[in-house]
Amino acid sequence: MTKLSTLNEAVASIPSGAHLALSGFAITRCTMAFAREIIRQGIKNLTISQCVGAMDADMLVGAEAVTRLIYGGGSLDRFGRLNCVNRGIEEGTLAAEEYSSLSVAFRYLAGSLGIPFMPIRSLRGSDLMAQLKEKSGSNLANITDPFTGEDWPVLRPLLPDVAVVQVQVADQEGNAWIMGPRWDNPEQVRASKRTIVIAERIVTDETIRQNPERTMIPGLFVSHVVELPFAAHPTSVYRVYDYDAEQIQTYVEATRTPESFRAYLDHYVFGVRDHWEYLERVGGLKRLNSLQADPVLGY
Amino acid sequence: MDFDYTPSELMAVAGARELQDKEVVAVGLGLPVVASFLAKQTHAPNMTILFELGVIDPQPVDCGVGLADPRVWYRANVLSSFVDILGEVLHRGRVDVGFLGGLEVDQYGNLNTSLLGEPKGKFRHMIGSGGANDIASCAKRTIIIMRHEERKLKKAISFITSPGFITGGDSRAKVGLAGGPSRVITDKAIFGFHPDTKQMMLISIHPGITLEDVLGTMGFSPVLPEQVPYTEPPTREQVRLIREVIDPQHMYMGKD
Repeated sequence: MTKLSTLNEAVASIPSGAHLALSGFAITRCTMAFAREIIRQGIKNLTISQCVGAMDADMLVGAEAVTRLIYGGGSLDRFGRLNCVNRGIEEGTLAAEEYSSLSVAFRYLAGSLGIPFMPIRSLRGSDLMAQLKEKSGSNLANITDPFTGEDWPVLRPLLPDVAVVQVQVADQEGNAWIMGPRWDNPEQVRASKRTIVIAERIVTDETIRQNPERTMIPGLFVSHVVELPFAAHPTSVYRVYDYDAEQIQTYVEATRTPESFRAYLDHYVFGVRDHWEYLERVGGLKRLNSLQADPVLGY
Repeated sequence: MDFDYTPSELMAVAGARELQDKEVVAVGLGLPVVASFLAKQTHAPNMTILFELGVIDPQPVDCGVGLADPRVWYRANVLSSFVDILGEVLHRGRVDVGFLGGLEVDQYGNLNTSLLGEPKGKFRHMIGSGGANDIASCAKRTIIIMRHEERKLKKAISFITSPGFITGGDSRAKVGLAGGPSRVITDKAIFGFHPDTKQMMLISIHPGITLEDVLGTMGFSPVLPEQVPYTEPPTREQVRLIREVIDPQHMYMGKD
């Protein structure tokens, strides 16, 4: 069954107030075209989760589309911090639930397995734990191990409404290959009620069946498949294209104040009709071609 | 001595010397990467390097801007996931050494990478944990590497992101954590921890630095043994490897 959709259709399936698990990690495989379309369609009050905060989440927070963020900290690597996320936390406009990478991964894992909670060794003795426990409706508690009598922190499962995952290759049913490290993406997909796959390239069912061991997302979890080249730009997609350092720098500069970020959104998000116009605005084929990955290096 | 080295190069070399052959090392970006690759290319060829997002034993040929840069994943043995690296390797108890940087550290080796200021008042939010809390909680020992400044080596830090010995003594064991920090390496000195009180303890001072330099630029008094030797300087070959092979573009080492 084909699940091929336009980006417009896939984004329109998301109601305001939904909880989205996004596939980005810092500046790689971020769901950027998706985030830009969310902003254009005016979808608001989102909860966003990911193990390590990334550029897709930061842009959505800066565009005031997010009320709650569940994450394990994050940055844009050497390019800078998550300015929009940090500002939201400092000013109290963003409700952030802050963990470590593994504790968010374990919350997804518990969700993916359908188990009621997940014990973890991390967080003990830290202010992360103290801060999480202070929050009303805390997702962290303690339990006595029935076998040893030891005390263990336990995490509530995370069950997002939709996982949105940027991949290299998928077929029209949503069977998808993720090349390179996958960080929290497999557990995000399996914990979520459904998944939107954004693929750089759609291939035939036969292509997938020739190398099924590469399939990291089974189509059975997937509701929409969107084919969209350079959908993660300006972040990288391993073995397809490198990050666009100039454009990430432009973003970091723009996010320093709410006013300059508003101007960025006007230029790169509201000022273009769709993803294709965005790609022209950032330099078109000439620029994008220069980012193509070397087949040996993968970047 | 007939060659120069920078404070950062000495820190990286001191870090490398803490790593043993065949150890499994979870690495954060920056100086820990240089120290780990240096150890691997010299005395510890059978060491295993882990990056939290799902990378085992890469052999990069270019420097990266961070763990999210495919340059640092190049020629890995395994590309997998958080649950694999932080869960099935680290949480399972197979990581010998965690190698971390930080914004602030206190006398018990607790690390702050979350915020500067008052957590309940005015503060600046920084990076947060990433895998640092997991590594500090689950590795058999942790090595901390950071600049030696009064605003970084503090009696009380704003926020404990990653636990060291918490409030000292047996407080870490009491919350159910083994391991803990074994070394703090700065650009002036190397510290260990007192076996009973778990307070930071001076182990060696870098060549050209005085005890007054060390103590006058930190916010608490470390335990002082009677004899404090000088840190062994880098060898010519270690400095050559850092400059020519590991970090030719000065991506990790800074410009000092």
